[in-house]
Amino acid sequence: MSAFAGIVQAVTRHRGVVACLIVSADDGIVVEGTAHVGVNTAAFAALTASLHRKATRAAAAAAFGTVQVLDLEAEEGRVIAAGQGGLLVVAVTDARANFGLVRVELLRAAAGL
Amino acid sequence: MAYATSVGWAEAPLRRFVGDARVELAVLLHPSGQVLAQVGFQRALDVQTACALSAAIHATSGQLGRLVEGAPFRGLHVGGEARQFYIGALPVRGSEVLLLAVFDMESSLGIVQLYLEELRAGVAAAAPLLEAPTEPALAEDFERELDRNLAKLFGRAE
Repeated sequence: MSAFAGIVQAVTRHRGVVACLIVSADDGIVVEGTAHVGVNTAAFAALTASLHRKATRAAAAAAFGTVQVLDLEAEEGRVIAAGQGGLLVVAVTDARANFGLVRVELLRAAAGL
Repeated sequence: MAYATSVGWAEAPLRRFVGDARVELAVLLHPSGQVLAQVGFQRALDVQTACALSAAIHATSGQLGRLVEGAPFRGLHVGGEARQFYIGALPVRGSEVLLLAVFDMESSLGIVQLYLEELRAGVAAAAPLLEAPTEPALAEDFERELDRNLAKLFGRAE
């Protein structure tokens, strides 16, 4: 088991989480993760990391400090990302997920990276 | 079946890839080093150099792959301080087209790899079929064709 398996497990046990990925923030490559069948993990990893990089630049330009949580809310689901040290924890949820709980778990997971 | 090594047909899928993946420079080339399309280069000599080096790197890494795991490596990524590059092989009609993509922090390896399949499909769809040669290919023809392709790419062709 990898060093990140515990983090992934803790996030995916929440109802509605269809994927949890540990992603390299610079490369957008999946380091560790699990996902339901049909979820394109490579695409989520690459695009979420790209969004996070751009959000980091926007926050820096506004002198807001570091990005703590990136939350993309769409019609039928959400992508949430948090991270440090060049790694991101990315959770992909459907509409059933309790966003507050998942967010707390994600922040806890990111602190453990 | 293989594809023709003339220029022009590969430009549209390459431009789409450059826009989607937000890379700075990109070249599609035949494994022999002959350029098929380029985006972002300013000088023909730079394209020629990039193609020669990319073809050599791909051949070398392919051999390394055969040594290590019995099959050629499909892609190579090198990260620099401000820029990175990726060299990968796209299977097209039983042959290969090589891609050299140079990118900075506007893109990433994951993004480049994400759009590779789309590029491969676009190149495969656009590639004109190679007509059966009536005479053997000569080294002098390679250089003349390379010069003609470069001239076409940089708008100096007749």
